[in-house]
Amino acid sequence: MISCRDFIVQLPLYLDDELRGDERSAFEAHLDNCANCRSAIIRENDFLKSIREARPLYPLPINLEARIQPIISGNVETRSEPDDSQTTVFASRVTGKKRYGWISLAAAVLIVFVISTIYLTRRRDVPLSNKLSEFAMLAVDTHLRHLRGQLPLEIKTTSPEEISDWFANKVSFSLKLPHYQESSGQEKLYELQGARLVGFKSDYAAYVAYEMKKRPITLVVTSNSVAMPSGGEELLSKGMTFHWDSINGLKVITWSDRGLTYALVSDLDERGQQSCVVCHQGTKDRDFIENLKPAH
Amino acid sequence: MSRPIETEFHRIAMEHLPALYGFAMTLTREQTAAEDLVQETYLRALRSFEKLMPDSNHKGWLFAIMRNIWLNEIRHAKSGPHFVELDPENSVEKGSADNSRTSPHVIFMTKITRTEVRAAIESLPVQYREVVVLRDLEGFSYQEIAAILECPAGTVMSRLGRARERLRLLLSRWQGEVKSKAKVNEL
Repeated sequence: MISCRDFIVQLPLYLDDELRGDERSAFEAHLDNCANCRSAIIRENDFLKSIREARPLYPLPINLEARIQPIISGNVETRSEPDDSQTTVFASRVTGKKRYGWISLAAAVLIVFVISTIYLTRRRDVPLSNKLSEFAMLAVDTHLRHLRGQLPLEIKTTSPEEISDWFANKVSFSLKLPHYQESSGQEKLYELQGARLVGFKSDYAAYVAYEMKKRPITLVVTSNSVAMPSGGEELLSKGMTFHWDSINGLKVITWSDRGLTYALVSDLDERGQQSCVVCHQGTKDRDFIENLKPAH
Repeated sequence: MSRPIETEFHRIAMEHLPALYGFAMTLTREQTAAEDLVQETYLRALRSFEKLMPDSNHKGWLFAIMRNIWLNEIRHAKSGPHFVELDPENSVEKGSADNSRTSPHVIFMTKITRTEVRAAIESLPVQYREVVVLRDLEGFSYQEIAAILECPAGTVMSRLGRARERLRLLLSRWQGEVKSKAKVNEL
């Protein structure tokens, strides 16, 4: 028969059903004859039971099942892609969807919408804030993870209507992506790629991906009850405050308008105002583009 | 992908979704990252599901995929902050050895809430967190855990023992504090 010391050593193995054959028999023989060890096994069993009964530790988020349905239903093709960081990268493609061209009117007009309303002038009376906005950080993180292939788009389309409809029942706010004005006659240099949901503060934010000549631009939108722009350099334009920041080498502009908070991320130069240059060819536009540039 | 395989993958994925999400939270401790990890796990699993033998341990297979993705993500997060956790093999608290199992504080272990267990598990280093979750919450055997963690079964056993000791210590301490406060309030 084993000693009490050996019994204590083997106790976890026994309770984890990892004790076999003669060892198990010897353990059980000791158990039958030792009241102290019987008490010990009851206490240990109670402890493990209290851990087991805590399952599940984390309730399943409401939208997670809906989010993974396209994947587990086989509506997503997976393929490996080379990746500079050598991480495991997988890109998904929704089958049965029409493949669109690269030119996106919607993306161009979005950038026009974002930037053309901004006649940015430096608010000199407000000191620069060093505190990074959590929402801006999320936008940058999402942008980077998407580039690494870790955040595949859940809908791939160049249609702003399809993306607006797709978000309709998934986010707690109304998001309508604008249309490019065909009459502008402007070259369509922006490409809408698609969208997905990203979690933020126990809610979902809308993530929309664009490209400009293969340079990615990310737009993240949430309700202003969830996030408000903050931090970075404050710039005023027509009664609105814009926050500009550079995070991990990426340019981020965040602002709130009509109940929504936006973050626009790119790797464009200076404040990212180059995106405006391609959309704003007129003299008037050039004026505000100049104002967007940082003072030298 | 043919229809029966597609249906089978869907069934398996749904069956293990809560457990996988729980493990993702155990690893990442952050909801957004956990959700992304679950999604990436299914994407990767879908890709190789057809190659899987019919009698495979699907749950273990999914958990192993998830952990590999998470490890890769950590290894290649070059620009991110580096979190240094104490080496769990060398950081066992003094005085928390076997005698704690039989010491009086276990008496307090009668009504431990889910919140307390969760907080206690979350406070552990990741090597302890994952082994406790895999064994005590998900019911994997030592061998299965060893396969998921890609380490010897003996390592699983020793980590599990230390993880449980820490949990026991933490929970009994909290229970003791609650009792002390209750006693003060009574006075």
